[in-house]
Amino acid sequence: MKLIPCPINGLRPVGEFVYGGEVRPMPDPNAVDDDTWASYVFNRTGAPGVKQEWWCHSPSNTWFIVERNTLTDEIMQSYLYDEMRTI
Amino acid sequence: MNTPLRLSPIHDLLQSLPGNWQAINGMPVLTVSPPTTSPLILTDRSCLTRFGVKGANAADWLASQGLTIPDRPNSWCPLPNPSAGIIARLGLSEFLIEDSLSSRLAPQLAMACQTPPAKVYPVLRQDLAIALSGPATHELLQQTCNLNFRALILADRPILLTSLIGVVVTLLPGEHNGHPFYRLWCDGTFGNYLWQTLVAIATEFGGTITNVEL
Repeated sequence: MKLIPCPINGLRPVGEFVYGGEVRPMPDPNAVDDDTWASYVFNRTGAPGVKQEWWCHSPSNTWFIVERNTLTDEIMQSYLYDEMRTI
Repeated sequence: MNTPLRLSPIHDLLQSLPGNWQAINGMPVLTVSPPTTSPLILTDRSCLTRFGVKGANAADWLASQGLTIPDRPNSWCPLPNPSAGIIARLGLSEFLIEDSLSSRLAPQLAMACQTPPAKVYPVLRQDLAIALSGPATHELLQQTCNLNFRALILADRPILLTSLIGVVVTLLPGEHNGHPFYRLWCDGTFGNYLWQTLVAIATEFGGTITNVEL
């Protein structure tokens, strides 16, 4: 069984989680040019590697960040969004 | 005709059981004498009054009401005597307060929260509340949940927010007379499915159904 570490609820089976996509900082829509905005809306980075991803522990509705190697499916660490700013 | 103020989410499912009906906290409750020995006992505790509150200032607001709140996420502590109810911290900033049969703290908090301060939000709790007890409780949980409950340290007073047969539940593990005793809350709209499934599995273990112990 695959387990994911939730920063609040601890190690839980993957069935309790919902994937929320890669963490992608949004450019300022009022200042950005059209090409950059279109790239933000439509393009994704498909290359495997260590990525920051949104995950949600659905029974507690806890959204948090997981650093995961998408090539090896290895989870490096997980933390709340507020903690990401200090890392 | 007297219309009850509240109904248990599994009110209809209890109609066929033998026992006496009486009103507790505005809810018709089937009272059944608890068996002295049974491998697994399911008890509907939905009639107990409870109150939920969440928000960034919820902890401070509860402290201002004179309550001692759990200092860690997903933990609980007893309400002040002589209540014997519980206050549970669900995640970082949500709380569940449930009275015992003899206390009325939750309705008082609901009244006090009619005009809540900023970042304090009352949560309507119309849960199905169940107690699972008896020596076969862990066998029932093994069939319905992915967590290893035997590894829990009860002295830490843990609260678990998890999934039981696909239903999001809040679980409070404990012990009573040397046997596991679990309190369980879930959204009332899933009540029939959860109760029927648990009863079906419990019956295989020779389990029995009771209601609030009076």
